[in-house]
Amino acid sequence: MRALCSAAVAIAALLATAAARADDAQIVRGRAVLEAAGGCTCHSDMKGGGGPLSGGRAMKTPFGVFYSTNITPDPETGIGRWSDADFVRAMREGLAPDGHAYFPVFPYTSFTGMSDDDVLALKAYLFTLPPVQRENHPLNVMSPFQWRIAAATWRWMFFEPGRFVPDAAQTPAWNRGAYLVSAVAHCGECHTPRTLTGALDRSRWLAGSKDGPEGELAPNLTPDKDTGIGLWTKTDMVWFLQNGQLPNGDDTEGLMAEVIEHGYEHMPEADLQAIAEYLASLPPVRNDDLARDDRERDQAQ
Amino acid sequence: MHSIWIALKTGIPASLVIALGIASAASAQDAAKMDEGALKYRQSLMESVGGDMASIANILKYGLPFVGNISVHADGLASHAKLVTAAFERKVTAGPTDAEPAIWEKPDEFAKRVKAFETETAKLAEIAKAGDPAAIGVQLKATGKTCGGCHESFRKPKEEWFKRSGGD
Repeated sequence: MRALCSAAVAIAALLATAAARADDAQIVRGRAVLEAAGGCTCHSDMKGGGGPLSGGRAMKTPFGVFYSTNITPDPETGIGRWSDADFVRAMREGLAPDGHAYFPVFPYTSFTGMSDDDVLALKAYLFTLPPVQRENHPLNVMSPFQWRIAAATWRWMFFEPGRFVPDAAQTPAWNRGAYLVSAVAHCGECHTPRTLTGALDRSRWLAGSKDGPEGELAPNLTPDKDTGIGLWTKTDMVWFLQNGQLPNGDDTEGLMAEVIEHGYEHMPEADLQAIAEYLASLPPVRNDDLARDDRERDQAQ
Repeated sequence: MHSIWIALKTGIPASLVIALGIASAASAQDAAKMDEGALKYRQSLMESVGGDMASIANILKYGLPFVGNISVHADGLASHAKLVTAAFERKVTAGPTDAEPAIWEKPDEFAKRVKAFETETAKLAEIAKAGDPAAIGVQLKATGKTCGGCHESFRKPKEEWFKRSGGD
């Protein structure tokens, strides 16, 4: 009997260790998801005196100024009380736990393509971080009724939910790249021009936008030779995402420098190569908003 | 007409006033030419810096068999870095330039950024001597951050380059 008992205890201990290992693996994966998402740096208000991921960063957009929220596991001011279902719904459907719709400045429009495993791993990782008590901007806590209606209406009209669907005709690397670019890394949110309604103009996917967040210009990522990155090699793309250095030796600044430093540069090289493979395969789209290239600048000199 | 009027008012011979007028027009012309040259030199100096940065990166990212060449490029960067301060002494903000007026409005901050660039390029030149690609890569990235550290405040953002029409 005693032997049986100790055997049971040993088995229970083994199972617990296995579960902990599974948790560890999930947390490691979650960290990788966060990095592939550019470190979620829009939630870090370092310049405004906030800490990592505790929100409050002002995001200037053509549709007004929005403030990011606290996504540390603080139960009062962060997401500490969120269930897995709450988190999945926010990420993939753009709805807060209380049911109100987020403005699409939070890119649930891209995250909807993420796998449940990646979303839950991200939550598991976020919940290992130190909770930071920092109140959300009043507009997030109690946004005016009209605003909520506007966000809900926008979501109803323009949001296309749905997980990423691999293209069987393409290589696994291409599909991995397509998944990362369109869903996790949410490149299109800045690098695809928007229509007057604020929805992404998917007919000009990744063709760049002069109205990027914080007033920045987001370059054309399609292989158009004049206005895009058609002269970049795949090696250039991987190097850029690891080092923030352009093929001509110049640096990158602003939000892109941040998402590289806190995210993309930590990604596995195979993932970055997958992104390069996908980007190089895109149809080139000319974007005359971004037509001023080095050639033109040389002529001006 | 103006010269003659000045001559009448002041009693200085009109010919002298006219001569002075021509001289000042000539020096204004010289100044404009110097501005133009200062601006072009600044840009060609930055092209040299970018060229060496890109050459080192190309050797590293493609694993080219020129690791020994990196030292030459790194020495070039360290030497060019020392020319930046003088290149920006003359204030030229008009014309086809990406330089922000802040360079001359916050000279201490600008000097600090340039100093950081000098320091990191000197380190890069030192590290390049040993010829370890991994170590060079790390320092190249640190050097690149000092480019961005200065450009962030003192170079016009890329949205400005694109908004600008081709001929300005």
